[in-house]
Amino acid sequence: MAGPSQLTARAASSPTVLRLAAPEVHALQELVFRRYPYAEWATFGRFGWRDTPHGLVLSLAALDPPGAGDLDEHVGHVAIAEPYSLRVALTAETHPLAVGVIHSHPRDYAPRPSPIDDDMDRYYAGYLDGFTRGRPYVSLIFAVVEDELAVSGRVFWKGKWVVVDRVVIERNPVRAWVGGARPLPRAPSPERTARLAAAFGDEAASRLRESTVAVIGAGGTGSAAIEVLARAGVGRLIIVDPDVLEESNLERIHGSVPGHAANRVPKVVLARDHVRAIDSHIDVQAYIGSLPQREVLDAVVTANVLLGCTDQQHSRLAVADVAIRYLVPSLDCGVLLEGGAGKITGQIAQILRVLPADPCPWCREMIVPQRVAQELMSETERARRRLAADAACARGEEPDPYWQDQPQLNTVGYHTTMVGAMIAGYAIGWLTGRFDPPFARLQMNLVAPLLDVTDVDVSAGRDCVCRRIRGWADQGVADALITPPSHWPAVRPV
Amino acid sequence: MSWERIERELKKLQEGGQSADLLRNGRSLVLYRDVPTAGAPLGLPSTTDVVVPVPEGFPAALIDLAGLPVGSPLLPRVKGGQNNQGIVTGDGRQWQLASYHPHNGGGGPTWDPMRHGFHTYLDHLIAWLARLS
Repeated sequence: MAGPSQLTARAASSPTVLRLAAPEVHALQELVFRRYPYAEWATFGRFGWRDTPHGLVLSLAALDPPGAGDLDEHVGHVAIAEPYSLRVALTAETHPLAVGVIHSHPRDYAPRPSPIDDDMDRYYAGYLDGFTRGRPYVSLIFAVVEDELAVSGRVFWKGKWVVVDRVVIERNPVRAWVGGARPLPRAPSPERTARLAAAFGDEAASRLRESTVAVIGAGGTGSAAIEVLARAGVGRLIIVDPDVLEESNLERIHGSVPGHAANRVPKVVLARDHVRAIDSHIDVQAYIGSLPQREVLDAVVTANVLLGCTDQQHSRLAVADVAIRYLVPSLDCGVLLEGGAGKITGQIAQILRVLPADPCPWCREMIVPQRVAQELMSETERARRRLAADAACARGEEPDPYWQDQPQLNTVGYHTTMVGAMIAGYAIGWLTGRFDPPFARLQMNLVAPLLDVTDVDVSAGRDCVCRRIRGWADQGVADALITPPSHWPAVRPV
Repeated sequence: MSWERIERELKKLQEGGQSADLLRNGRSLVLYRDVPTAGAPLGLPSTTDVVVPVPEGFPAALIDLAGLPVGSPLLPRVKGGQNNQGIVTGDGRQWQLASYHPHNGGGGPTWDPMRHGFHTYLDHLIAWLARLS
């Protein structure tokens, strides 16, 4: 095992991904560019991480900014005073996060590590390890080059230096300068996405090709979202669903035919094959499973955007947990039909934006505790509780403590397709940097005057963990919003 | 399962003087040791061990039920004790789960995972064992 002094950062066998959320990026840019355009500045930062089979995923959790006198104002480069280093090191003993240095290079200077940067990184990787004991050391360089943000990074962990291969800044597309080298020019858009390129620009189409979208649920809304994303040219899709196709799904699920139902084909297999038929160049990773199972989480944290398409409360919690702890911008959707006396009175569509700084579903009062508990129970437990509820009724007691029947949520294909296409559209807006959803939680009724559109925007609860664990990744596991039930079948990649 | 969270909650109990362990063989349970009861004046045990199942998906799913050792003289006297919700095994003993639902319409607050956990469930267990019929 090499020490930190042997500073030859290489690409790891699996890519290293750095994720940043908007509030931290905003604060970081204010800080490190404060002496722009000519002089550098720096701060220490704290990072959560997850070591996945697909590579190391880091997330910026917080900054430990310099105070007066912590950096030398009289020199153009970064010179960190020893008390600042010691303060950060001692603080690191009180939290579980990785620590690193983030500094700027002058405007239009590549974020390529200089010999001074090499010295600094060698020193801090060794020095901080005495306090962090085996956690990664992260070094990032920010610069503005030709009016675009340019970011490079390297990490010392487990005895070796690796470069940061991908930088994902919430909704703002940014290309990593791997090892400080200028990214290669983007290839022109293929003819198949020429209309999209004409509308959004060639660069937008290229960004889609370089992007990964994870879709949880390949049913009515999910299959519609997947179809839109595949046709738009998203380069990599992660598709997750535990179920097989049934005949009653044929009305809604894109790409399905009766043979799929007859053969009980897993929905993710159907979706995978459908995507490949649309565009064989798309990299599809399909998992028979559910979020937040470990293998699914490993894949999802590498995505640029996560879409929740199950309309189940536990899944909504899992999506929010990924958004908050791993900084994956997410959208969750649901549909609902209401009616009576032969009339459809409500066709509700809901889209929930879950950015890393957004409140969790508990804060948004979207979770009914008993419903979540019932969703997460094993079939055996559900059966036992239904019997207990029946017995309570027979005794003249309320059945609710044992079991509450949930109404069947009926949906129809045009409704699920519309909502699935909408969230895919907003995902494309984020991935291309062209537009944002103009709401926090959209609800609309297709059969109400002017669609009865509402936006429900609330703040995070004062005591909620969602205010404290943004970017904590695996190091915030004790505050996870949900954990996978032990009775769920093992995940099967297909 | 969020073992780290449960361990953190049990540590809080320990700091408050309540011994409790996480049992992870078979169905996961939290075992509270020597919880006080109001049984002494009735000739019943003044303390008892209690188990509580760890709900699947915790903390998204609420904590529910409570179990006493099979054959405990307290079982017929506690709320829901005669409404058997299943037998579970842990710590080398068998436990009968009683129909006790403090967060599920049983008199306690609505489940809030930001405030509630196995550390706060002890209060419900003490209240449960203090109201013997």
